Amino acid sequence: MFRQAAQESLLIILASSVLGLSYSAVSQKGLFRAKDSAVAIANTAPSVISFEEAKTLHDSKVLFLDSRHPYEFKLGHIPGSLNIPLNTFEESRSILAAMPKGKLLVTYCDGVDCNSSMQLAAKLFEAGFTNVKIFFSGWQEWKSHGLPVEQSP
Amino acid sequence: MKRFLENDYIVIAVRVFTGMLFIVASVDKISLPDTFAASISNYKIIPNGLELSVATVLPWVELLAGLGILVGVFFRGSALIASALSAVFLIAVASALARGLDIACGCFSQDPSVGRINWEKLVENVILTAFSFYLLFSTSDKFKLESFLRQNPPQETV
Repeated sequence: MFRQAAQESLLIILASSVLGLSYSAVSQKGLFRAKDSAVAIANTAPSVISFEEAKTLHDSKVLFLDSRHPYEFKLGHIPGSLNIPLNTFEESRSILAAMPKGKLLVTYCDGVDCNSSMQLAAKLFEAGFTNVKIFFSGWQEWKSHGLPVEQSP
Repeated sequence: MKRFLENDYIVIAVRVFTGMLFIVASVDKISLPDTFAASISNYKIIPNGLELSVATVLPWVELLAGLGILVGVFFRGSALIASALSAVFLIAVASALARGLDIACGCFSQDPSVGRINWEKLVENVILTAFSFYLLFSTSDKFKLESFLRQNPPQETV
């Protein structure tokens, strides 16, 4: 029984490889699209960073993107951050167009109870930004450490 | 145990559930291989540079294995692949949880805000692994295309 199962599995894997590689070549997605930069893409996909990493990046003057509502942003945000609310992402494309695609960006929202930092990171990744990090614990954790905050007039 | 493994109705129910699950899970991954590569990368268990190769081929393996289980073609091979894959997924989710990684599962949707790994995901994977191994050892041949073709070989026309 297992000999038969092993033979059939090999056939399925072979057929899948042919289908997967053909689809990649035709659709220009996956392996063939990024043939020369597979490592770069894998390394630079949006990933969650810790508070300590976010603090280090902020100290290094990395640009933080706040995905919250403009009203919340106005009340207080991480110093130097830029407000890109998720629901008005399309309107922010002109600002983003001026940035190099490899620029390191950190997205954040209110904290662990919100997902807009991840959704913004996903949209940025789709828009071609290859170096996006997500400060998932966001604004709440920043404030809890008593770090400086900034308010908009 | 033997009766459990040869029960036609349980086997067909588990086949439909598991087969559909693998097919549905493959759709988003096939259409978004680059995002799926990012999901794989987040687990930090595959050497850098291999993610895109895996993301290009693995969803098709899932699709064909799911179809094989559902329709009953290359059933043993499909069940063996489903068992191996679900066991690997289970280990990946368990190890990510143990390492405290806060990442998207990448199991069904490739939207990073959907399906964060948690204990529920672990339980889902345990069930999927159990179902896949059940199918691998099941002995019922009811409603399998390969059994039907074996019993009713195509007539050769002259």
